[in-house]
Formats: sequence, structure tokens, C-alpha cells
Amino acid sequence: MSTRFIKMMSVRRTTLVSRKVLIDSLVRLSPLRLTANPVMLIVEITFLIVMAMALDPEAFPRLASSSLQIFYLEVALILLITVWFSTLSDSLAESQAKNTANSLRRLEMEVSSKKILIEAGSRRIALTPSRELRTGDLILLEKNDTVPIDAQVLEGIAMVDESLLTGESTAVRKAPGDDVIGGSQVLSDTLTAKVTVNPDETFINQMIRMVESSKRPKTPNEQAVTIVLIGLTAIFTILIGALLGVSLVLSLAADLSVLIALYVCLLPTTIGALLPSIGLSGISRLYKEKIVAKSGRAVETAGDTDVILLDKTGTITVGNRQAVEFLPFSGFDERDVGEAAFLASWHDDTPEGRSLIRLAYEDGFVPKEMNALDASEVYEFSASTRTSGVKLAGGTGFMLPKSGGTGRERGRLRRKFEPHVEGGVPIGSDETEIIKGAPDAIKKIVKSIPADYDKTVQEISAAGDTAMALSRNREAIGIVRLRDVLKPDIREKIMAVKVMGIRPVMITGDQPLTAKSIAAEVGIDEYKPEAKPEDKYDIVKREQAEMRIVAMIGDGTNDAPALAMADVGLAMNSGTQAAKEAANMVDLESNPAKIIEVVMLGKQLLMTRGAVTTFSIANDVAKYFAIMPVLFASTVPELKALNVLGLGLNTAVLSALIFNAIIIPLLIPLAMRGVTFKPSGTMTLFLKNTMIYGFGGVIVPFVGIKLIDVAISLL
Amino acid sequence: MLNLKREFRQIYGPAVRLAVISVVLCGLVFPLVITGIAQVFLPSQANGSLVQLHGRNVGSSLIAQNFSLPIFFHPRNDSASGVDPDITVQDARSQIPRISSATSISSDMLKQIVNQNEEGTFWIFGNPYVNVLRINLALIQTNSSAYRAFQ
Amino acid sequence: MDWKEYFLAALIVNIFQMALAFVIFAFQGVLPLNPQGFPGLSWDLAFMQVISFGTNTNLQHYNGEGNCVQLPNCAALTPGVPGLSYLSQMMAVQFLQFTSAATGICAAVAMIRGFVAHSKDLGNFYVDFTRSLTRILFPLCFVASLVFVGLGVPQTLTGYQVFFTVESAATRATQTILVGPVASLVSIMQLGTNGGGYYGANSAYPFQNPNPASDIFQIFLMLLIPTTLCFVFGQLIGKKRETRPILWGAYALFALDLLIAFTPNFPVVGPGMEVRFGGFFSVFWTVVTTAVTTGSVNASLSGLNPFVILSAFNGMLIQATPGGKGVGVMYMVMFIILTVFIVGLMSGRTPEYLGLKITARDVKLVMIAFLVHPVIVLVPTVLAYSTGATSAIGVGPNSIGFTKIFYEFTSAAANNGSDFLGASANTPFFNISTAIVMFLGRFAPIGLLLSLGGSMINRKRLTTEAGVRTDSPLFALILVGSILVLALLTFFPFLALGPILEFFQGRMNGF
Repeated sequence: MSTRFIKMMSVRRTTLVSRKVLIDSLVRLSPLRLTANPVMLIVEITFLIVMAMALDPEAFPRLASSSLQIFYLEVALILLITVWFSTLSDSLAESQAKNTANSLRRLEMEVSSKKILIEAGSRRIALTPSRELRTGDLILLEKNDTVPIDAQVLEGIAMVDESLLTGESTAVRKAPGDDVIGGSQVLSDTLTAKVTVNPDETFINQMIRMVESSKRPKTPNEQAVTIVLIGLTAIFTILIGALLGVSLVLSLAADLSVLIALYVCLLPTTIGALLPSIGLSGISRLYKEKIVAKSGRAVETAGDTDVILLDKTGTITVGNRQAVEFLPFSGFDERDVGEAAFLASWHDDTPEGRSLIRLAYEDGFVPKEMNALDASEVYEFSASTRTSGVKLAGGTGFMLPKSGGTGRERGRLRRKFEPHVEGGVPIGSDETEIIKGAPDAIKKIVKSIPADYDKTVQEISAAGDTAMALSRNREAIGIVRLRDVLKPDIREKIMAVKVMGIRPVMITGDQPLTAKSIAAEVGIDEYKPEAKPEDKYDIVKREQAEMRIVAMIGDGTNDAPALAMADVGLAMNSGTQAAKEAANMVDLESNPAKIIEVVMLGKQLLMTRGAVTTFSIANDVAKYFAIMPVLFASTVPELKALNVLGLGLNTAVLSALIFNAIIIPLLIPLAMRGVTFKPSGTMTLFLKNTMIYGFGGVIVPFVGIKLIDVAISLL
Repeated sequence: MLNLKREFRQIYGPAVRLAVISVVLCGLVFPLVITGIAQVFLPSQANGSLVQLHGRNVGSSLIAQNFSLPIFFHPRNDSASGVDPDITVQDARSQIPRISSATSISSDMLKQIVNQNEEGTFWIFGNPYVNVLRINLALIQTNSSAYRAFQ
Repeated sequence: MDWKEYFLAALIVNIFQMALAFVIFAFQGVLPLNPQGFPGLSWDLAFMQVISFGTNTNLQHYNGEGNCVQLPNCAALTPGVPGLSYLSQMMAVQFLQFTSAATGICAAVAMIRGFVAHSKDLGNFYVDFTRSLTRILFPLCFVASLVFVGLGVPQTLTGYQVFFTVESAATRATQTILVGPVASLVSIMQLGTNGGGYYGANSAYPFQNPNPASDIFQIFLMLLIPTTLCFVFGQLIGKKRETRPILWGAYALFALDLLIAFTPNFPVVGPGMEVRFGGFFSVFWTVVTTAVTTGSVNASLSGLNPFVILSAFNGMLIQATPGGKGVGVMYMVMFIILTVFIVGLMSGRTPEYLGLKITARDVKLVMIAFLVHPVIVLVPTVLAYSTGATSAIGVGPNSIGFTKIFYEFTSAAANNGSDFLGASANTPFFNISTAIVMFLGRFAPIGLLLSLGGSMINRKRLTTEAGVRTDSPLFALILVGSILVLALLTFFPFLALGPILEFFQGRMNGF
């Protein structure tokens, strides 16, 4: 699956810290650039103070001593490095984002398009740069052209290569009404299409804008974390300020640089430094799944989903049903049914039709009338009759070509079949008419209904399967059992969703018995059978009225209102433009099952932020109780008992500061990759994260500081 | 002007009324009612649990009285209130030799008096103690000869 | 009333009430019911005391009996030493003790109403206030006052009684018995978690607390309303199970306070304790009085082990163990929201409480409410030293002195009222600084938390199954943990320089 797209999305490790990034990170050290990151600005201010202490200790009576100049210099250096690590993380994240944006922009590369101008009733082609196209413009797409912008096909049928976007290497057939995406390539034939978006409105463009903008609006969760950071910073500022005051009034002779070091150790520097890159990485990870999000907010909302609407087809089952059994009515045998199914499905290009031919072929039911197929008359499937079929006109002796040629060739003789018109098309004596369709539809056109017709159909439904009836010359000859094939590990996915407290609701057009059986098989308690597209909208509305957050997928124009209303709406790229516009995410691969991945990704993003925050705060707590006692033990001898680690003051301060600085780059990979988690309930996840990032975050600094302390004293 | 007046009537008016009503109810009516009931039904406690010797008020059983003569049990003077009326039984026993030698009342007799005046055993948490004023009055009443001057 | 109207009504009524009490304090010399002839209080002391009683703090920079307590045979007043007339005790002290208690109950109920589904506003302050007085405080205090009289607490308007003592035949000594309308004051001071005593020695003075029975009854009264309000929370919001985190959290912290206080050794009667209470009840009382921010004492704080003081600090710094009546519940809800937020953050879910999504604004309000406390404790503590106000009253720059000053402002900020300094802090600096701290410590969190409650009205309620279960013992445990971490982070260094240092010094040098 390694495609150009993925290659472009991933950033090559070797170029991760380029000279440009380094220079950028140094430029960012300017206090003016740091205003966006108050925690780091404070650290830089403290750097300046300690630097001043190093240069002129006399200027700080009672707070600094001239014998400690070297120590002040060391402290100042580490403080500066701390700020630099943070700006480096910012620069890295932004350069990565820029790379992504650039590679995306290549998809939107400037191509000259063939704009169709209609002047005085005649058409003229004008070569126009794609960025000048506007909604409603007509364009001509010829063989080997790159589609300049998202458009809707008006005339013509052509094969289009969308692999650049979706990674699927098969060519897609585009007919009037279909959408073509900017960046894809026309492989054959010619299309006339109408531009559906303005150049800066394409979703690739939206994605570029979001990735590039450094002033990305903060998501609610980011805002909340920021408040915690500000709160903690405020607490520690008050604390250290008061401690400085108390130290002065009680004549404790605490060194200012030590208090400053303590202050910086307590500040939530880790999360402060990593917060921007966590947000960006979540969106990048979504791109890796080939999903385009229109905002970072949508991804996080996905993590809060309460109800998830799953379309049965494509999400729970692998697309269409597969034929598994031929059931003849009395008077006919399996061969009759199998051969009839073969003939009726020859012109049917759907996976369902193909599965009928495959089953018949595997069972050895290849009909002798096969050579008449090419000259047959095809009844195309119609939604109103819910049947399709074929009429064979006598002739024998032709050999069937190995493959059926293109659909277009096969459909040469197509014409509409209207069985409800009394009599329909008359059947000649040497003609055979085979019709397949929904059992109740077939029931209407056959001359007599076999006694076990309803019973057979019902039994099949009760087992969760679908029945398809076959008639030959208006005589019911048998039923085909079609079975839904579940997607691999869909059961586990549903289970994971349920464990996280999210309610899956299955939406299907199947009748209730079938729906119930499939839902039960994959462990879904709630399902909506015989669903019409409006039903999705109603369910979204109902769940939202009860203040639940709803995630859903959709592809048709009918789905657009529901997609627009749902908190998380994932549109299929193969779907209509209306659906894509209404949704807040688009899956380039058009795989409806991805909605589950989106929810999990959202969860992962929220959790990564939470884990790093927890770790950072736990670190602060640990550093607090590692340094504070050392400080007291050095100023108030009676408090020696509190110095559990047995550290010396100056080396302890240096160790803690060094630890404080290096933990930032060490955590960058975690921030970028995201934490791994096993789906489980809120409290279980909380406890697990507390164990790993909370207690881990407390223990790591104690060990780390002691180790660095030992290393320093060895030097 | 008009606005100010209306504002006062709407916001400050009720507040002032409530403040005045509450000061009368909480600060005057309530304590006076309690005082009335207490004076009628529990006059002794309400007036300070005063203690008499030969019909004359000599103090309150709840407030320590300063005893300086060696013939009496002495109160503590390092306690939180400064007027702790009680001493521990151990404290009382430790004063027996002094009182005994000053009054020639036998130690056994004094021990018995201490035991009789022991109070306040409160499950496992309390520690027995002795009320100094009451035990001294008991001394005076049971040993008229030794305390002739205080009869 | 919306939260602003409710808060303003409460504030204005409280200010008018304090103004009335100020007049009585300042002019008690010329007002009736002053058999001892105490002169009016100085303006700064009167100002500080009305704020102290009006904010439910009851820090006292005077002794109610003037300086008679130091002289067992006090016959005459020493000029310049403030004391209170019977009228001041009743119409200033007792009055504000009633009204501040009622205000606390109102504030809590109003905030809870915000969390109640379908409530349209926070209620009407005037109605709530009147009902709190007439339906809760008056009936309970009526019974409690008579019980106290029965146990020996005086209730009279006749002046101090002077007698010749038992020894007078030999020494001609007299004794003054300091009676007064004590029982009615003690009932509301304990029930309303006020803590301001009739006497300087507070509930160590035998007339205020005559025997172990009255001691236990007072402990019961202190805990009664704060504990009841935990249940009121669940009752009002219609989910009784939601009482659990508040109640369990509060009493778990209370148990921890007890553990700290009793850790060094099982206390025996020592100097500074009353014999009738013994060591156990002196320490137990100190834990209770700080856990519910009452601030009454039945022993001298200086006589207690530094670890008991540490436990007292714990109660005052958290203020929700179970805290003062009203504000204790409010603080606990504040801590619950903080905890829910942290849990949500760590489990990858937008936090919600009672089905209400916790927004960034809520967290901001809660954060500010939490931050008010360290600022108003630490800034004046440093100022007291740097301005020389401490040396002026003979408090030194050592661990013992620091504990006293830190305790003074912690107690003022927490609206507790117990203190080491007492009447010795009757200086303009301490009067004005503690007055400001008490006012902010009372009304800033109440305003912020009412605003929090107010913002919950009309907020959509989620019926989600995936959130944090707040009614589980596990949540209570997490709640206690996060409260302790927050309190420790903020105050540990100062506790270390105060009681903890005192403890280590005491261990080295012997107590």
C-alpha cells in the first residue's frame, strides 16, 4: 500500500533536524516570539536574571554570592537550553507541518485547465490556470489530463486514476453525476465537467490551510489544558515569590538562583513545550489514515463520541452479499436454479451478481444457453421493480468470450423492463426469460406461487441471510440464499467501541429479521432495519436532543443533512459533493469502517495530551519534593531529615534542571506518535494512565535526578 | 435623583429592613428569651453555679479560686483558661503530704476525701479529676477543727 | 435571582449588618447593658471585629472579659484593655454569628440550585436568609442554649459577681465571677461554625464549656450543619448518591487530620490544656474546630504538639473537611470539578459532572477560587514580617514565631478564627490586614462559586453512560488524593518552616 501519498505525508527522519529548523529554533528564542508560550517566556526571563547574577553577583545583596559565579553560569546555560528545546520542538512540528502542506500542495499543483467558454452559442476552449477557475465553470477533461479542481461530470464516461489521492491503484469509472477530484488523472475518454468548488475551498486546500496556520485556533480541550498550565504557573509563582519573601524576612539565606531553579523545575515546562506539537501530530496521524479533517476540533470531538451510527454495508459486512446456496422449489432441481442464476447474473456487474455466477460455476451449473447470452436482451435492475434479468432469443452455437467485454458493450441491448405493465414484453416460443429479484417482487410477476415459497424465504431471513427469488418464464423455480460476509475483526472492533462506553447503532436497509440476526452476530444491541436515508437524520437528531455526541458516515446526497448535523461526520470520497461539504472529515479511501478508527484516533489524541500533561505534572510534583527538602536541609539544619535522596544543594539543583530540560526532547516522539491504549472504560483508562504516567512521572525524576547527580559528582 | 431613589427602594430598601429586623431578632429577642427561660427554670446554672459556705457565696464551682494556704488543695495555674477549676487525681494525691503535715489530718483520710470527690471518668478518653473548690469545701466541712478559722 | 443579584443581595445585607454591629462596638460605652462600663472599641479593632464576625471567621483581637481573666480576683478594669459589654456580645457578636451562618447556608443552597436540573435561578436571598434563621438556626439554638444552661453555662444580664473567697478569712482576697449571656452565644457560635467565644479563652473557659458533656455537645453542634449540608446536596439535586463524594471525601480528610494530630503520641494533659477535657478531647476538639473552620478552642494552641497544629493547618488550608457550614460544600464541589477535570484529561474524555459538561470557563472560575487562598495567606504573612509588625508584638523570626503569623493569616483566610496571637494582635497592622484577608477569603470564593453555580442553569445535560462515576469510593479516593496534592504543592514549604521545623527542633532539643 506504499503509495506516493503516504510517502509525501511522512517526513524523512534524516532531514528532521535540518539547518533550517535549527536556525528557526534559535530565532524563536527572541522574547518577542515567545509571548505565545508564557511558560517559556518566564523561563527565559529567569535565564536573564541568573545571567545577571553570574555577571555581577554584587548587584544582588543577600541573594547571591560571588563565590558561586560558575554555578550561576551553569544554571543560566541550562535554563537557556530548556527554552531552546521547547522552541526546537515547535520548529520541528511546524517544519513537519510545512512539509505536509507542501506535499499536499503538489496535489493541487498549478495545471492549466481547458475551460469551456460558450460565446454566442458556440463553444470555445480557453487554457486557464486552475487557480482562476470558479464554481460553475465548465471544463473539458481529455485523456491524460490532470483534473485541475473538484468537479462534477456532466457528459461522457471515462476511467480516472485517483490513486494519487486514495492509494487505490484501480481506475475508477466516472459517469455523468459522479465527482472527480482535483489531482486525479483521466486515463481514457473525454469528460465535460462543472467545477464545484472555488480553488481555495477544496478540502485539500482546507487541510493545507489548517496545517500551515501557526495560529490554529485552540480546541476546547487545548484551552482547558492551557488553563491548567496557567493555574499551575500561578500557584508556583505565588509559592516561589512568597518563599523568597519568607527566606528574606526569616534570614534563611536561600540563594536566588536556587529558588529560580526550583521555580523552573516546578513550572509545567514539559507540557508547555509539547502542547503545540501534540495538536498537530493528531491531525498528521489522521492523514496517515488517509482521512482529511477540516478542523482539529472534529478529531477531538470524535474522541468524545457517545453514539456511533454504523452503516451495515461496508462497515460491518464486506459490501454486498454472497450467494451460498441454491434452493429449488418442488418440480425443479438445484441445477435449474443454478443455471437460471448464472444466466440472470451474466450482465450483472455487482459483487452480488458475480457471486451468483461464481457459486453456479463452482457447483458445475454452467448453462448450455450460455452462447446465446451475447445476443440477449438485458433487463437492467430498477429500484422500482427491484428485479433484473435477461431474455434469451433462441440462438445457439456462439461461443462466449472469456470475459464479458466492457459493461458498455454488454449493455448494448439494454432496455427498460416494466413487469407491472400487464403482460410485459411478450415471450416468444424460442425465448427464455429469467428474472431474479426480491422474493416479494418476484411473487408479483409469477403465474403461481409455490406452497413453500413464503416458508423458505422466512427461514432464510430468520437465519440472518437474504433470499433472492428466481423465475423462469414467469414461473418461480427457486430461491438463492445470499449471505452477508462480516468484515474481519469487526466483532472485536464493536466490542472495543462498547467497552469505551460508546453505543453502536447499526443502520441497514435489510428487513428486521435479517438485521436482528446480523446485529446479534457482531454484538450490536441497537439497529435500525429497513432504514431510509432520512432515518439517519432522525437518529442523529434524537440522540443529540439527549445531549449525546454522535459520529456517523455518509456518502449520498441524502446523507448530507445528517452529516452536517452529526458532531462527527465522515464522508466517503466516492460520495457526492454535497455529502463531502456537509461532513467535517472525508475519507479518501472511501472505507466506511474507518469511522471506528476516527473515534479511536480522537480518543488517542485526547489521551496523549492527557498523558503528557499527567506526566509533566507528576514530574513537577516529584521535582518539588526532591529539591525543596534539599533547599531546606541546606538552610535549616534541623530539616536534614527531609533530604531523603541525600543530595548536595548545588548538584541537586543542576541535576533537576538538566532533567527538566532533557525530558522535553525525550518526550517528543511520544507526543508525535501518540500513546497506545487498550479500549476500556473511563475509570480503567484513568487508573492505567495514573499508574503509568502519574506514578511513573513521579518515580522517573527521582531516579533521573539521582543518576544525573551521581554523574555530575563523578565529573 | 429619581433613579437613585428607586434604586435605593429596590435594592437597598429590603437589605436595610432585613438588617434591622435581624439585629433585633438575633441580637435582642433571642438572647432575652433564653435569659428569661433560664432564669426561671435553671436559675442556679444560669447565674454561674455559685457555691455557698454557711449561706454565703464564696465562688463558683466552675471557676478556679486561688488557694495559697498550705492547708488547702491548690489549683493549677498553667492551664488554657487560667481558671481551670480542676486538678488531676494524681495532682491532688501529690498535695496530700503537704496538707497532711499542715493540718495533721491523716493521709488515709485525705486519700478517702480525694476518692470521694473524683469525677469525670469518661469511658476510655476521660481522665479522673478533682474540683479544687469543692474538695476544699469538703475539707472544711468534714474537719471543723483543722479549719476553725474558716467556719 | 441570577447569581449576580443573589451575590449582591447577600453582600449588601451583610455589609449593612456589619455596619450596625460596628456602631454598637464603637459606642458600647454609652449604650445600655454595660454593667462593667467597658469603653467603646477603637475604630480599627471595631472594623476588624465586625468583618471577623460578619465573615464567619471570629478571629478575636480582644478578650470579651477585658483583662479580668489574668487576675482571678479582678475587681476593676484596667483602662485601655478592650472588653465587650453585654449589649455588644448580644447585638454585635451573637447577631453577626447568626447572620453569617445563615448567609453561608444560603450561599451553599444557592450554588447547589444551579446544579439542580430545570432550576430557573438561584432562588431569592431574602427568602433563603429568613428561612435559614427561622427554620434552622433559631429552633436548634433554642434547644442548644437551654441544654448549655442545664450543663452550667451562665445566661444572665446581671454584672460580674464579686465575692470574698474561701480563704478570705486569712487573706481578705476577693474573686470576680465573670457571668453574662453566655449560653445563647455559645449555641450559635458552635452551631454556626463561628467560633468566636464569649471569653478570651474561648471554650477552654469553664463557663463556656463546663464539663466533658458540654464539650462533646459542642463538638456535635460544630459538625451538625456542615455534615447535614453534604446530604442536602444530594437531596436537592435529586441524586442522593452524589452526596457520597462530598461526604466520603470530607470525612476521609477528617480522618487524615485525626491521624496527623494523634501520630506523635497519644496526648496526655499538659500545660495549656484543661483537666476536665484531658489530652484526647483537647486534640480531638482542635482537629474538629479547624476541620469545620469553627475556630473555637478548648485548649491553648501553644500547648499542643506541632503535629496537632499541622493537622489544624490541613483543615484550614483545604476548608472542606467538611468545612464551614455552606462554604465547605461549595469548596468540595469546587474540588470535585477540578478532579473530574483531571480525570477527564487523563482518560481522554471531555469532563462532565452530574451530566454537565465542564467548560474552560468553569475551570477558570474554580482555579481563581483556589488561587485566592494562597495569595491572601502568603502575601500578608511576608508583609507582617517585612513591615516590622511582628517584632512590634514580640513575635520573632523563628519557627515558633513563623507558625503563629502563618497561622493567623491562614485562619483569617479560611474564616476559621482560631489563633495564637489573640488580643496581642490588637494593632492597626494586624487589625486591618486580617480584616482584608477575612473579607476576601469569605466573599471572593462565594462570589466565584455562585457564578459557577449560576452558569450551570440552563446548561444542557448529557445522559451519557461513558463518563466518570462520581459516586464511587474510587472517585472519593482520587478526590482526596488530588485535594492533598494541591494543598501540599501550595503550602508545603511554609508548613515545613513552621510546624514541621518546630517538630524537628522539638525532637532535637526536647519539647
